[in-house]
Amino acid sequence: MKTGIFICHCGHNIKHTVDVKKLSEYFRHYPNVVVSEDYVFVCSEPGQDMIRESIEKEGLDRVIIASCTPSLHGEMFKDVLKKSDLNPFLLRRVSIREHCSWIGDDVEKNTEKAKRLILAGLYSAAHYVPLEEKIVDVKKSALIVGGGVSGLSAAVFLSRMGMQVYLVEKEAELGGHVRVLKNIWPSGRDGKDIIDEMVKELEGRRNVELFTSTAISSFEGFFGNYEVTLDTPVGEKKLTAGGVIIAIGFSPFDPGTKPELNYGKDKRIITTLDFERNADALQLPENPRVAILHCIGSRDEQIGKPYCSRVCCVNALRVGDAIKNRYGDSYVESFYMDVRAHPRGGEEYFEDTQEKGVLFTRANVAEIMPMPTGVMIRGEDTLFGETFEREFDLVVLSIGMSPPADSKLIASLFKVTLDKDKFFLEAHIKLRPFDTAVKGIFIAGSCSGPKDVEESINHGRASAVKLFGFLNLGYAYVDPFIAHVDPKRCSGCRMCEQACVAKAIKYDEAQRVVHVEDAACMGCGLCNATCPSSAISLKGYIDCMIDDEISAFLEAI
Amino acid sequence: MAEEKIEKNPEIVGFACSYCTFKASEMAGSLRMKYPEGVKLIQVPCSSRVDPAFVIKAIFEGADGVFVAGCHPGDCHFIKGNYYTRRKIAALKEMFDAFSMKDKLRLFWVSAAEARRFVEKVTGMYNEIKEKKNAG
Repeated sequence: MKTGIFICHCGHNIKHTVDVKKLSEYFRHYPNVVVSEDYVFVCSEPGQDMIRESIEKEGLDRVIIASCTPSLHGEMFKDVLKKSDLNPFLLRRVSIREHCSWIGDDVEKNTEKAKRLILAGLYSAAHYVPLEEKIVDVKKSALIVGGGVSGLSAAVFLSRMGMQVYLVEKEAELGGHVRVLKNIWPSGRDGKDIIDEMVKELEGRRNVELFTSTAISSFEGFFGNYEVTLDTPVGEKKLTAGGVIIAIGFSPFDPGTKPELNYGKDKRIITTLDFERNADALQLPENPRVAILHCIGSRDEQIGKPYCSRVCCVNALRVGDAIKNRYGDSYVESFYMDVRAHPRGGEEYFEDTQEKGVLFTRANVAEIMPMPTGVMIRGEDTLFGETFEREFDLVVLSIGMSPPADSKLIASLFKVTLDKDKFFLEAHIKLRPFDTAVKGIFIAGSCSGPKDVEESINHGRASAVKLFGFLNLGYAYVDPFIAHVDPKRCSGCRMCEQACVAKAIKYDEAQRVVHVEDAACMGCGLCNATCPSSAISLKGYIDCMIDDEISAFLEAI
Repeated sequence: MAEEKIEKNPEIVGFACSYCTFKASEMAGSLRMKYPEGVKLIQVPCSSRVDPAFVIKAIFEGADGVFVAGCHPGDCHFIKGNYYTRRKIAALKEMFDAFSMKDKLRLFWVSAAEARRFVEKVTGMYNEIKEKKNAG
């Protein structure tokens, strides 16, 4: 066996707490190790060339790359092996960055840990065998969950590229929250126009099916051929989708959960969304006194919403702007924590609004009390450190975004993860911001965290592009990590058959042994752990690999 | 000079499900959270892949603690693998209890988003075991 070990410095990320030179020197004299090198960035072009040269020159049959976590650059390093005519499943990635150098500061301890981690990889890789990737057909169709602005923009892109699109919306009307918005900053267009334009384009296409008032009752299968059952008003409908985009948007924060705001008890206390819907119907005096409260349902640890909702500052500015435009002599005061007008041009808009005469007071509002003559606001001015009480004719609460009401339901249906705030979690915050951990399932729009209209559209389109890249190939490689039966050892006890969730194990009456149906196997390894005779094993995670990893960790080998 | 006892550091082997706990540990690393070097993870596709024999082997070979970590009940990528894990580990704990080493084995659920929970769980386990190891 000829093993090559490549240890990455990752610039300073690994090198600063792991003595990489010592490690490469240690493994250079290890049995079965032919090459042991450390390099500044193994993932760079010269780094990859170094691996390829070593494989070709030394005839390596195992490659161990000790660097970042296996989910990063995994496909790239596999390609390096493929280009050198080495089976990509003879590659072992050892995480010495996320699981070693970044979690401890002691160089000596970290180096020892990294040594054992690499050793575990080395022993485990000794049991590796070349595996063949399965190729499955991918259906060129996409299921889009949610007909809001990001779902629609994803649908528009995919339909233009010729994909079959199924768009599912639980409400009777498409458009979500954007439909009610008027005069969207900064373009000044109404939400209805934006939505209608997209819907019109989708309705005119033969490769688009729109389902409104529809729920998803079941979701099964694997990337390329997801089986979906829809519960439509005209009955059940089954369809097959290659991939999925989840764009179920957000729920507006309900200020009723904060009783001190007295929302819903007085019609002079409204939210920015109420203002949006019926600003014309408000009965205000000639020169109204209007208060605007920022950060309602955002940056509030007490109600479990520590995040910034990103859109509400600009919404608050829009309300102030609208009132100042309508009533020149009005008194408008905005109570803020910090003004985060982050979109492009937002700061200028903030200044414009100030110049128009909207007053900004940095304050914590404690209570809103409806009075016969007006609505009293009591709070603390956090710049002066003084308490205040002021009376207004109208109070507008700039509400934030809460996770969608059915985020848990959708997450468990599609087996994707939610983050701590119950928004959908991306596979990697920087490198894979549109993917979920499940292949072929993407997230778009504000269901993955608060976003404004522009960002939602971008996010929707980006997810659509990523999904298109997967679907357009028409085929996909599937990891060959499936169970395999050794008929000589199988006693035919059928315990694995009972345990298998995917029903991939079938009993052969004539031979009195079981066999695995490759296409159905999900690769969880439950059968492997269940078999009393060690007759069934999960490729890539066979018993002796894990046994040797344990021994290497504990230096018992 | 007073004799100073050498501080013994425990070795902990953890089995982490690829879809949740391993992802949480990646996130913990990316967020530069700190936990003891003695904790080492073995990546398994699903917590149900963990054969009780692995746990016993680890203890035999000198591990001071073993944990199995998977997705929260109901969240298993393989639909119900973690329910099997829960039963297996419960049965194994009974056996460990008979040998008075119940606290060497832990089972916990950590989702991909719960990096902090992961760090709290492993650090807590490490510290408890360390205290026992250095007692007396």
